[in-house]
Amino acid sequence: MQAQVTPARRRNEREASLLDICEQLVKLASKAGASDSEAYAERTRESSVKVRDGNVEELQQATSKGVGLRVFTAGRLGFAYGTDFSKDGLRGLAESAVSLAKGAAKDQFNELPRGRQLGRGPEGEYDPAIEDIDPAWKLRAAHAAERAAAQVDARVRKFDATGAGDFLARSAIASSRGASGESRASYAYLYCSPVAEADGQLQTASWADTRRRLSELQAPDEVGRIAARRAARMLGARKVKTQKAAIIFEPQQAGGFLAGLSGAVNGDLVHKKSSFLAKLLGKRIASQQVTLVDDATLAGGLGTRPFDGEGVVSQRTVVIDRGVLESFLYDTYTARKAGARSTGNAVRGWSSLPHIGTSNFVLDRGSVSAEEIVRGTKRGLLVTAMLGSGANVVTGEYSRGANGLWIEDGQIAHAVQEVTVSGSLLDLLQAIDAVGNDLDLRSSTASPTLRIAEAVISGS
Amino acid sequence: MPKAVQKPAAVRAPLLPLPLIEKLLSAAMSRGAEFGEVYVERATTTAVSLDEGKVRSAQVGAVTGVGVRAIRGAQVGYAYSDDLDEAALLRTAQTAALIAEGNRAPGPVSLSRTPLPTYYQVKQPLSGIDVARKIELVREANAAARAHERRIKQVMAGYADQTREILVANTLGHLAEDRQDLCRLGVSCVAFGKGGERRTGFYGGGGRVDFRFFEDFSPAQVGREAARQAIATLGAIPAPAGPQTVVLAPGWSGILLHEAVGHGLEADFIRKGTSLFAGKLGEKVASELVTVIDDGTVAGGRGSLNVDDEGNPGERKVLIEKGVLKGYLYDHLNAKLTGQRSTGSGRRQSFRHAPMPRMTNTYLAPGDQTPEEILRGVPKGLYCRQFGGGQVDISNGNFVFEISEAYLIEEGEITRPVKGAMLIGVGPEALKNVSAVGSDVSLDPGLGTCGKDGQTVPVGVGLPTVRIDNVTVGGTGA
Repeated sequence: MQAQVTPARRRNEREASLLDICEQLVKLASKAGASDSEAYAERTRESSVKVRDGNVEELQQATSKGVGLRVFTAGRLGFAYGTDFSKDGLRGLAESAVSLAKGAAKDQFNELPRGRQLGRGPEGEYDPAIEDIDPAWKLRAAHAAERAAAQVDARVRKFDATGAGDFLARSAIASSRGASGESRASYAYLYCSPVAEADGQLQTASWADTRRRLSELQAPDEVGRIAARRAARMLGARKVKTQKAAIIFEPQQAGGFLAGLSGAVNGDLVHKKSSFLAKLLGKRIASQQVTLVDDATLAGGLGTRPFDGEGVVSQRTVVIDRGVLESFLYDTYTARKAGARSTGNAVRGWSSLPHIGTSNFVLDRGSVSAEEIVRGTKRGLLVTAMLGSGANVVTGEYSRGANGLWIEDGQIAHAVQEVTVSGSLLDLLQAIDAVGNDLDLRSSTASPTLRIAEAVISGS
Repeated sequence: MPKAVQKPAAVRAPLLPLPLIEKLLSAAMSRGAEFGEVYVERATTTAVSLDEGKVRSAQVGAVTGVGVRAIRGAQVGYAYSDDLDEAALLRTAQTAALIAEGNRAPGPVSLSRTPLPTYYQVKQPLSGIDVARKIELVREANAAARAHERRIKQVMAGYADQTREILVANTLGHLAEDRQDLCRLGVSCVAFGKGGERRTGFYGGGGRVDFRFFEDFSPAQVGREAARQAIATLGAIPAPAGPQTVVLAPGWSGILLHEAVGHGLEADFIRKGTSLFAGKLGEKVASELVTVIDDGTVAGGRGSLNVDDEGNPGERKVLIEKGVLKGYLYDHLNAKLTGQRSTGSGRRQSFRHAPMPRMTNTYLAPGDQTPEEILRGVPKGLYCRQFGGGQVDISNGNFVFEISEAYLIEEGEITRPVKGAMLIGVGPEALKNVSAVGSDVSLDPGLGTCGKDGQTVPVGVGLPTVRIDNVTVGGTGA
């Protein structure tokens, strides 16, 4: 990693100082008695606007920083974090972490990644245009989204919030085992949450777009129009009878379904036999149409980064290949414990220990359009919003509140609320009988439209 | 509820020198804002975790920062900094000031301290307790859970505490300081049954209490209860789907109120007209058996506040009285804009966040039936004993909450365990269907964290044993 870091350091003094902080901390930890240590630091800048009814409602801007130090003393783990980057602050952090480690249990798997595990994959995108966004641009964009939303339907007159913002993050990692790297990321976003009202019923919907390049952000009036249409079409929503029927997840809801599922391939839960997928490696667990990857190298992905939270080089991991479970996700500790290799899936902030998480967790697109999937559905629920957390990956059960649109003979019949969708996760995965071609990477966990042939809908 | 004890104003040095705070307030007002506020926070945390029988880690953290808010009409400017030198803080205040577009030389602000009652049960701050004693808690909990039953194969135990010192000062001249300790012990278990069956259990508690709390609320008891839940539901049959009568066990079931009505009564949604409870003050929104209280003054309660994050004292508010809607939860901004007064409900996750109206401890006043009477009156239904999380859609009122331990009720008796149940409903409808309220009022043991707009705050909930008719149960069984 070191070689690639140098040019960035020349370009930007500030970023270099973040790596310096980490390196200083590693030295201080070793002085305080750590046998190994790793420091991770971050500096972020965020700026956002909110508007409502044509007026500015909130302007927010701030920079923030922090550093976390993980130490091992004779196989015992200690961790300390803070926001004080002064020499005394850092020394205090090193001493706390080392003294805390004494209370933890000795664990032979406590080790830092080293050697060829460390490195650098493709950079996540960083757009200088986001760095330079004019606050007035954000206000114009938010106003435009709200105005466009208000023109869609006479029943859409109220707004919960409409806003725009940007987020810049720089991070650095250094360890006594040779990790040394910096990375940066930029994000711009825009959202609108209108409320439709008719016959005493209120329905909120929201639409948001987040991108790492400003030029790729959806046009503000489009964001507003989509949001307003989504709210208006929910008016008149009612329960349906308890029954078995097809479930179609819109892309965002399909993404939510995947996010719920991601815990099941977490190497830690798998190792503890506490995932419903623990014993199914190499087995067919989903319909043949399902291919799912965790790809930290994906071009344009919101979760793309050159290395993970421990400095392990980023990679692409095929989790499910045409229905067959191919791999679980690991960080260094769990991989050692389970006799596997780290898949570069350690995630963290400066105030937390690294733990297993996804990067870009993406289900491959299919070949049919969402419209064709709806048209080909005799009877079912097109799910447009959900409530609750849904998946229990330990027991393998799924049950979640749903709002959406009822489909009869391929046509949208009416809006639905106050129902739940339930089933066993394995049954649901195996019952996926259509995968749309509408994959969009506006979130790091992303899926095209999915149809599940049959699940239980609980209602009246 | 306990009586408040008046305490003399704090004598220790403030988190930031008062002359600097006054300067920051002036800077926040420098472009014509009507209200300025400085929020200073110093938070230290300790956490220990145990997994697979071993103390996995011990950690500490310390974060200090300042948030500055400037308000003009309904417009809010907010900026924060974790850099505490004067120049950086003045820049932060000037950034917040940009919400207003004029130029004005604000008058001087003179601050005076308000004496505060204390609702916390903390004699010795948690930060002063040796980490070794905190590690001992998770060890004991783990041992008790594993000893409970041989089918308990996985145990995770965690303890975390925070000592949060805050100072809030505003251009109305108010200055408030508070030290808010908070701790929580939690244990989760997985029981392994036949044919790969897995069931989970979770229990724990804490609050704004000191370490003596764990003398009564023993780690062993916490571990055993988590283990009991996991074992109790082994062999459970799928929950019956569709509308039915449910009986909720007391305690954490209060999440029903939190989701079904609490959020919808927060004044930001009310002012914007986006809550289905907007404009319904004085109307009947629930069964006559329903009286809902939000109470920031519960002794040692997880959601209790001597002072909220805007410097207003914690309060006990009756939100619904015998089914009639009586009041909303106000922060400073929404109270000001609608001609009301703050109910001490302005809360924020940290100095990095602007405050908004939130709940504290939300509970249902007890009724007069015993839990046994309530159960006996149900020929067929679902008894819900332990609960997971919940969520609500403010505008259409749809809420869900997850049932982690439930049983069939047959002829007034609790019979077989069921799995995978969740409840879904529309707030006011569910509350109108409340047909029995028990005399056994009980706050949850101190577990809850509430999320709104990306900010989390600790809350308490409570419910006596309650019967609700015609609730939709999500499940897969017949």
